[in-house]
Amino acid sequence: MGRTIDHSDGLKWYPRSWRDRYGEELAMFLQDRYGEGPVPVTARLSMIRSGTVERLRAGGIIGTSVDSDRRIRGASLLVLCAWGMFVVAGAVFAKYAEHWPLATPQVDQRVPEVAMGMVQVAAAAGFLILVVAGLITLPALVALVRSDGWKSIWATARWMVISVAVAGTAAIVIVAWNAQLGPSQSINTPWSLKVAGVVGGLLVVLGLAVSSGTIVAIVYRLRLSDQVTRMLGVLAMAMSGALVLIFGGALTWWITTAMHAPWFFGSFVPRSQSSPAPLAMVVLGLTMLSGLVLAGYGTVRIAVSMGRSGGALAPAGRTE
Amino acid sequence: MGKTEKAMGLRRANDPPLLILTSLAEGPKHGYALAQDIADFAGVQLSPGALYGAISRLEERGLIEALPEIERRRPYQVTAAGSAELAQAMREMRRVVDVGTHRLGLLKGRLA
Repeated sequence: MGRTIDHSDGLKWYPRSWRDRYGEELAMFLQDRYGEGPVPVTARLSMIRSGTVERLRAGGIIGTSVDSDRRIRGASLLVLCAWGMFVVAGAVFAKYAEHWPLATPQVDQRVPEVAMGMVQVAAAAGFLILVVAGLITLPALVALVRSDGWKSIWATARWMVISVAVAGTAAIVIVAWNAQLGPSQSINTPWSLKVAGVVGGLLVVLGLAVSSGTIVAIVYRLRLSDQVTRMLGVLAMAMSGALVLIFGGALTWWITTAMHAPWFFGSFVPRSQSSPAPLAMVVLGLTMLSGLVLAGYGTVRIAVSMGRSGGALAPAGRTE
Repeated sequence: MGKTEKAMGLRRANDPPLLILTSLAEGPKHGYALAQDIADFAGVQLSPGALYGAISRLEERGLIEALPEIERRRPYQVTAAGSAELAQAMREMRRVVDVGTHRLGLLKGRLA
C-alpha cells in the first residue's frame, strides 16, 4: 500500500523527544489503521490530548518521568504564568478601582485602604522577586547566548519583543489620553477611550501570553546549576505568597466596598441601588483565583520535588 | 504495589495499560496488532493517543520493552515486572469477580 497521505502531521502536538522515540511507529500505526483515508476527528483529538499531556510531562509540569531539576523548573514557570495572569487582572483592577475613595464614606475607608496598600506592597514584592529571578538566571542566559548565538535566541524571542513593543506603545497612548481627561470625563469615560482601552488590554494580554511562552521556552534551554534551580523554586514559592496577598487584599477591598459603598459598582450616586458583584469584578476575581490555583499547584510541586530530592536534585522517581 | 497500580490504572478492566499487558501476555506485538487484539478480546477500540500514551508509560516504568523494528513497526514484549504487575491485577480483579459472582448467586444458576 503506497503512502499517499502523510499521517505525521498529527505528531506536531507531541514534544520532539517523544516524536523521536515513538513518532515513526505512531505514523505507521495511523497508516495501518486508516490507510489512505483521513484520520477521524476523534483520533486527532486523542492525539492532541495525548500530545499535550506528553508536553506537560516533558516540561516537568505533571508526572515524575523527568528529573527533579526539570520538575522544579517547570513548576516555577507555572508560577510565572500565574504572575502573568495577576498582572493582567491587577492592571484592570487598578484602573477599575482607582476612584474608590470618592465613593466610599470617609469613616469606612480604613479597611479598604489597608487592603489596597497590601495589594500594592505585594505587587511590588512580586515584581522584585521577578527581577531577582531574572538576575540569578542572567549568567546562564549569557552562557546560552555565547554557546548558541544571538540568532538562535532571537528566533525564539522576536515575537515577544514585537508584541511587547506594540502593547507598550498602545498602553502609553491610552494612559496619555486618559491623563488628559478632566475629573468628570474620568468617571464617565468617552466610548472611544473605552474601545481603545479594550483593544489595548487585549494587546497587553497577548504581549504577556507571548512573553510568558517565550520565557518558558528560553528557561528550558538554560543550563542552570542545582543551586540556581533551587533558588528559582524558593523564589517561585515566595511569588505564590505575594499572589495570595494580592488576592486577599483585592477580595477584602471588594467586600468592604460592597458593604459600605455598593454604588461604586454602579451609578456612583451615593445611596443608590447597585449590584455588589458587577461582571468586571467577577471576571477579575475568577482570573486571579485561576492564577492562584495554578500558583498553588506549582508551589506544591516545587515543595514535593525539593523534599524528594533532599539536599541535591535527584533523578526521576519511579512512583507517584 | 498499590501506588503503582493506581498510577498505571490497573484496577479497571478497560484501562489501556491493563489491556496492553493482557495482550502482550500472549506474545510480542506492534501497535496496530495490539489494537486489533484488544478490540477482539475486549471490544475496546483504543484511540491512537490512548494507545501510544499507555505504551510510553508502560515502557517508561519498565513493564514492557521494545524489540528491534520489523518493517518500520516496533514490536513490544512484556517484561518480568510487567508480568508480575499483570498477575497482581488479575488476582485483585479475580477477587472482585468471585465476590460478585457469589453474591449474585451466579454459580448456583439462580440468575444465569
